[in-house]
Amino acid sequence: MFKLTEEGRQYLENGLPEMNLINALEKPLSIDTARSKIENFSIALSWSKRNGWVRLDNGKVVLIKKPGKIPEQEALELISRNKLPEKNCLETLIRRKLVEEEREDVVKKAQQLIGKEISNLTPELIKTGLWSKVRLKPYNVAAVGNRIYAGKRQPYNQFLDTVRARLVALGFKEMTGPHIETEFWNFDALYQAQNHPSRDWTQTYSLKNPKKGGLPDSKIRNQVKATHEKGWKTGSTGWGYEWDEEKASRLMPRAHTTACSARQIAAGVEVPGKYFAISRCFRPDVIDATHGVEFNQAEGIVIDESLTFRDMLGLLEQFAVEMAGAEKIKFYVDYYPFTEPSVQVSIKHPEMGWLEIAGAGIFREELTRPLGLEQPVIAWGFGIDRLAMYKLGIVDIRELFSRNLEWLRNSKIIFK
Amino acid sequence: MPTIEVNYDDLQTLIGRHVPLDELRDKAILYAKGEVEEIDGEMLKLDIKDANRPDLWSVEGIAREIAGRYGKPGLPDYKGKKPKLTVKIDPKVKGVRPFTACAVVKELNMDENTILQMIQLQEKVSETFGKKRKDVAIGVYDLHKIKGPIRYTTVKPDGIKFTPLEFNKPLTPKQILEQHPKGKEYGHLLDGCTEYPIFIDAADEVLSMPPIINSNHTGKVTHETRDVFIECSGFDMKRQINALNVLVAALADRGGIIESVKVIYPKTHGKTITTPDLSPNKTQITPGDINKLMGLKLSTKQIIDLLELARYDAKQRGSKIEAVYPAYRQDVMHWRDVAEDAIISYGYNNIKPLPPRLATSGKEVDAEIFSRKIAEVMTGLGIQEVLSYILTNKNDMFKRMNKREEAVVEIDNVVSANWSVFRAWLIPSLLDFLTRNKHNEYPQRIFEAGIAIIPDASQETRTRDARKLACALSNTIIGYEDISSILDALLRLLGIKYAMRPKVHPSFISGRSAAVLASGREIGIIGEIHPKVLNNWGIEKPVAAFELDLEGLKKIIESKNLKSK
Repeated sequence: MFKLTEEGRQYLENGLPEMNLINALEKPLSIDTARSKIENFSIALSWSKRNGWVRLDNGKVVLIKKPGKIPEQEALELISRNKLPEKNCLETLIRRKLVEEEREDVVKKAQQLIGKEISNLTPELIKTGLWSKVRLKPYNVAAVGNRIYAGKRQPYNQFLDTVRARLVALGFKEMTGPHIETEFWNFDALYQAQNHPSRDWTQTYSLKNPKKGGLPDSKIRNQVKATHEKGWKTGSTGWGYEWDEEKASRLMPRAHTTACSARQIAAGVEVPGKYFAISRCFRPDVIDATHGVEFNQAEGIVIDESLTFRDMLGLLEQFAVEMAGAEKIKFYVDYYPFTEPSVQVSIKHPEMGWLEIAGAGIFREELTRPLGLEQPVIAWGFGIDRLAMYKLGIVDIRELFSRNLEWLRNSKIIFK
Repeated sequence: MPTIEVNYDDLQTLIGRHVPLDELRDKAILYAKGEVEEIDGEMLKLDIKDANRPDLWSVEGIAREIAGRYGKPGLPDYKGKKPKLTVKIDPKVKGVRPFTACAVVKELNMDENTILQMIQLQEKVSETFGKKRKDVAIGVYDLHKIKGPIRYTTVKPDGIKFTPLEFNKPLTPKQILEQHPKGKEYGHLLDGCTEYPIFIDAADEVLSMPPIINSNHTGKVTHETRDVFIECSGFDMKRQINALNVLVAALADRGGIIESVKVIYPKTHGKTITTPDLSPNKTQITPGDINKLMGLKLSTKQIIDLLELARYDAKQRGSKIEAVYPAYRQDVMHWRDVAEDAIISYGYNNIKPLPPRLATSGKEVDAEIFSRKIAEVMTGLGIQEVLSYILTNKNDMFKRMNKREEAVVEIDNVVSANWSVFRAWLIPSLLDFLTRNKHNEYPQRIFEAGIAIIPDASQETRTRDARKLACALSNTIIGYEDISSILDALLRLLGIKYAMRPKVHPSFISGRSAAVLASGREIGIIGEIHPKVLNNWGIEKPVAAFELDLEGLKKIIESKNLKSK
């Protein structure tokens, strides 16, 4: 069994060098010209001279006799079609390393299958050309092979990534904060009074260990304290109680992303500036289909020299359209302890009627000024878990953290 | 926040006219900062959002607020008649439950709606505003059954007997705490007290034991009751006065006549006062500030009109507006609180939104982008991403993992024992996942890039958020070579030179676990999970896993990039 080498294959396709030289010699060519025109010129010249087809005359290559056919070129052709050329010619090609013998074991292996009906086409059959001597069994092409599962992103994570991408596209910078917070950042810096019911042990988690954390530098700390007690320079009456530093230093798992906003404001914000955070929060809720103790929130802030109620409505309108694809929206009065005024936007869902989508408010001056910010801040948030459930077709919030491998494997790619 | 149930007809009667349901839902209820949640025949369930406006937690307050925009603008004025009844405060209550504010309301028509709203208001105010009766507890009594003057004093736990509400035999305070449902529910508020507070009248008839329960004789209000005595008790006088104002205003709106009560405090913790204190409050606002806030150009007159619709009296005073607001409102701290009322009167849906026009550039944090790239590599290796909770429990983190208990971030007021500590590593979450999927096809190849919380005394929050990557493979035949192939593919793609050095770890099979090292630091652990751990989790096929510190990886890549620059 014989086969072409890599070089042999090249010459089959592009022509033997000596053939190319002969075909180029309509008129005599200078050696340099011929060298530049013909690839592998030295090989071409050598064989052409040997075969008596050309001679060198005064630095020129001159054609003596043009051969009718070139047996070696035809032989290459025959070998490529698994046919044997004439013995001398074959030996020449082997010597020129344009043809080599197929390995015996390869040939043997292929020969073993001759005349059979086989399932798998083998490399030996392909290389030796003996594929023409076997029958390839027809398959039931309607049947699928083994089901395989792709490596995939978790659908809820994917959804959160698309939300992130949209917020970044709207010009928001991501901010972060620790999962474990001090009450200072989670409540006090947000002007939530220390005796407010939302800080009660039934409404918010507190830590057994570690119990207490540090507090920010005394400037901010004292400004927050003064604001809670009597309003400080914010133009407010304050809450009118004695602010307890010890309580503010108690540690708790972050209850809302607004803690990140407070930290960001204190650390410094760009004006104008837009920030967002999607963060894991914790609350001691009774766990059921719509509540968990651990959940995500999407919140953020917008800062500018001047921001109005109309800007706030415009922002919520943008969210309703960009995040939830709303066509019809309505605004409602709302209340958050750290914003005044506050507003909520609902969208019309084709089956479920009006759904609350997002809320916003202008941070109270009792919040922003003690943290060192003079400009107004719009704080916004939307129910990202509810939106996720809607997009993923889930009715039980626990399924966002699904432990069902079958569901994860089979969940469809979300395009929008 | 609180859900208030009202009768639709009752509401309309109090507003003073018919309000079609659509109009109520889309416009009118917004004036009371509410939303119609549910309609059940005649009854409406309203979600009143403001947690700081107890005056809106009954139909009377809601109607009063709405009525301002429906033909009754301006300050609702309440006045109390001269006091006839006296309440004497015993110095002994100072250490137990020091303050009370009281009032009398006469000539009430106790129909079904009045009683329903009174009970609802009492409950909502004491539960929410009063922090489950701790800060404010409210008692309402049939005045005819009371002989003044009333004493507010204390008794020993077995020092007296009276029949509590809905019971039929007299019990001592101690027995009430043990046997009466309200005693069991609120008794903890009297923990540590050697004596309990009571209201008792001149005929030695016990009115009530705040904050627990009224007496059945005087503390029951029925359809026949015409005159009532109300008291609010707690630890802060201002709160009692606020709560009292809310209640008497509601009853006055029903046609009740308010009569003050003289409350005599001993010099040790007060002085003689007359309650309720219904004098309105006032504050000054600047029209320019309101326009700036709203984004509109309203005239001073327009703003005054809007405030009057919100039940203020408002007058121009020079360049400012003096706004007078009713005594039942204690939420006005800053001019924004007044401004919001003006905007509500204007109508949120009447204001044209301004599309956002701030040119800012958006960006994600690096750690997030890095995490996502890692996740992409892992999915490219054919592994399924999972997402689990950060909260876990000690059993899953230590006992099941065959590990000795270590310091971990722990919650105090646990709701469910399953979610009581924060995970310090991710592999237990993956094992939890695998044990729930024994019936699904194998091989099972999962990963999670997520957060663990590590105790760290050097941080402000005494904890540190650590991003980790964990991967677990499970199959009938699976082993170290399979998991190390994955690790190798990942680290090669990140361009990180690494080594695996044998390390003993109780969760892994001895001789089949290693520390992952890079740049001279330990950045992770890898190995075959110990069969004891598999037994503990109820997993029936072998598992091989690794866990890496993503921040450590990121730092190594960043320092490499710096060097190559």
